[in-house]
Amino acid sequence: MSSNGEIKFLTHEVGSLAKPPWLVKTSAGKPLKESDIEHAKSWGERLEVDGHEQLVELLRQDERDPDEIARWSSRYCMRLQESAGVDWIWDGEQQRSEMYAWAIAHSNGFEPRGTIRSFDNKYYSKSAAVGPVSLGEPYHNAEFSFLKSAAEHELKIPITGAYTLAVWSYDEHHLPKAGRLGGGLSRKDEVDARRELTLDIARNIIRPNLEALIALGATWIQIDEPGASTEEDELDIFVESFNVSVEGLEGCTFSTHLCFSDYNLFFPAIEGMAGCRQYCVGFANYDSTELGTSGADRPGYEVISKWRDLTYEPILGLGVTDIHTDFIESPELVRDRILYAVDVFGDPARIHVCPDCGLRTRSWDVAYEKLRNMVEGTRLAEESLNRAHAGASST
Amino acid sequence: MQAFAPGIYPRSEELVQATRDLDRARTSQEAVDAQVERDLAELVSVQQAAGLDLLADGMLRWQDVFRPLVEAADGLEKGALTRFLDTNTFYRAPSAATATPALSQPLNGGYIAPLPGPRLVTLPSPFALAHGTGTEPGTLAEGVLKPQIDALDAELVVLEEPFLARAEDGGVEKLADALEKLSGGPKLALWVTFGSAEQLFEQGLANLPVDAIGVDFFATKANAVPEGFDKALLAGVLDARSSVLEEPGEIAAFVGQLSARGVEEIALVPNGDLQYVSEAVAREKLARLGQAKTEALA
Repeated sequence: MSSNGEIKFLTHEVGSLAKPPWLVKTSAGKPLKESDIEHAKSWGERLEVDGHEQLVELLRQDERDPDEIARWSSRYCMRLQESAGVDWIWDGEQQRSEMYAWAIAHSNGFEPRGTIRSFDNKYYSKSAAVGPVSLGEPYHNAEFSFLKSAAEHELKIPITGAYTLAVWSYDEHHLPKAGRLGGGLSRKDEVDARRELTLDIARNIIRPNLEALIALGATWIQIDEPGASTEEDELDIFVESFNVSVEGLEGCTFSTHLCFSDYNLFFPAIEGMAGCRQYCVGFANYDSTELGTSGADRPGYEVISKWRDLTYEPILGLGVTDIHTDFIESPELVRDRILYAVDVFGDPARIHVCPDCGLRTRSWDVAYEKLRNMVEGTRLAEESLNRAHAGASST
Repeated sequence: MQAFAPGIYPRSEELVQATRDLDRARTSQEAVDAQVERDLAELVSVQQAAGLDLLADGMLRWQDVFRPLVEAADGLEKGALTRFLDTNTFYRAPSAATATPALSQPLNGGYIAPLPGPRLVTLPSPFALAHGTGTEPGTLAEGVLKPQIDALDAELVVLEEPFLARAEDGGVEKLADALEKLSGGPKLALWVTFGSAEQLFEQGLANLPVDAIGVDFFATKANAVPEGFDKALLAGVLDARSSVLEEPGEIAAFVGQLSARGVEEIALVPNGDLQYVSEAVAREKLARLGQAKTEALA
């Protein structure tokens, strides 16, 4: 709600954006082509990135500092979102290797075990917990300090949550290596081991990171848990790990991000997660692309009433943009998804607007168009609601 | 005693990079094809070195265990990206656009690669393919799987079944009707992956009209296999969701337990697609599978 009483939705990104070719190749120590430099030049002009000519000069040099190029990429990604009109932004995780790999690489007690398919031609690196886990040093501090100095909009920091780090890892430390054949390891044994690893990560890795970020001035931290619903019978571990991570920390809003799950599974478990003030959730992937604001028109959003009914009344970050297709949602489609959600919630103040998930699998062109339409659709929804509100007031 | 490796095998780090590059228009389809051929040659070599009895092509081009068939069938469509069981790997859940989907053309050498020796082919079981589509397994068996199986030249067709162990009662019965429609060609195995077969055996799993039943023995006790089991048993003794490398001696000892229950024909297999571990880990697991067979036979 804006200061003049009009309805105004907050828009935000979710996490990742694709890395540009000039960053990928620099990180890999590969030479650049003229087309890579042209990419930096044209996007720099298009987004009006201050000093982008300096980047172009850097890219023409044979020796390039990957960290410096990554910071340039951060500037570009922040400008991309700011230019699209997104209110709360991040840098698309340009300075991180990847949401899982970055956290694991800066923690103790893990060893890499290779690359695993996520879907189609998308993959992730997977490590194994091989001993007690702990934090090397807070691993988002330098990134946050830089982004804080360069951002024009507000910053929301995504940090991969404890349960996702645990469930995306093999566990060679807590689980026995032998005696498992013939059903020798019960489900209870597996769950107990997961709880131990997850809570160790929450206490020893996530919480110290949160404390460090708050000390640096962070006001909104999004704990990413895309793996939260992996095991139906472990949702209490996810909830407990969130609570252990944030309990008693002050001066900062904590939210979580969930995606690509049967969201019904989260209930009733997350009734015990009152410290989570916002749930940013992907729905567009499951929805129709036809216009309409009735329940029948919006099958992907049927489940949102469950968040409405949570007694601690969290905000719902409404995913309105499918990040797995190049289909550009029209502003009208975004509008209708928001209007449906407002109708279900009955309170627009409990709705934020965001993509389903990070946009790193889309090109910058597609991501930019999706974000612009997301913002434009949000404005259309606001206009529609404010018009209706004004009409109702005048009668 | 045999050993082999059905299902989707992990891509090498080189193929991972090539396919990533392809998606970002940084390489050509030809370059990816060449890397697929190198991966396939390496996989064949690994299987031969391990002494596996039937070769598998690792389904290196399959996006998931359903997609190529879904795309080759009239009346089936790829749906929402959906988590595969309790893994961090996702698939496009098949959906049905008509009441009687039908294969327009059997999958070709791109998806079922030629191999230099006796081979197996893995396909989804009719129950798995029908999962969530609203179509009966029997309908998909008849319209989609049967024409594909008829076009195959294989010693064994392994029908991968990840959902049956988690299904409501009645799944085994539905599957029985569907499997009847697939008979008359190569030998068939129903491979129940990543889940306990204990209750399924109580519901008649052992009586299904197939030549072999595959069981995940990380989730199933040896004594769940009923007395008098008279089919081949595909014993899932490699944990495809764990990076821990199995000890061949432990596997061989477990085979002894199965033999003691009167199971006469045993093939050692993973308990699901090996794509849930990296290629380096999978390669070592296959080597150990071969060693386990040797030790069990000794």
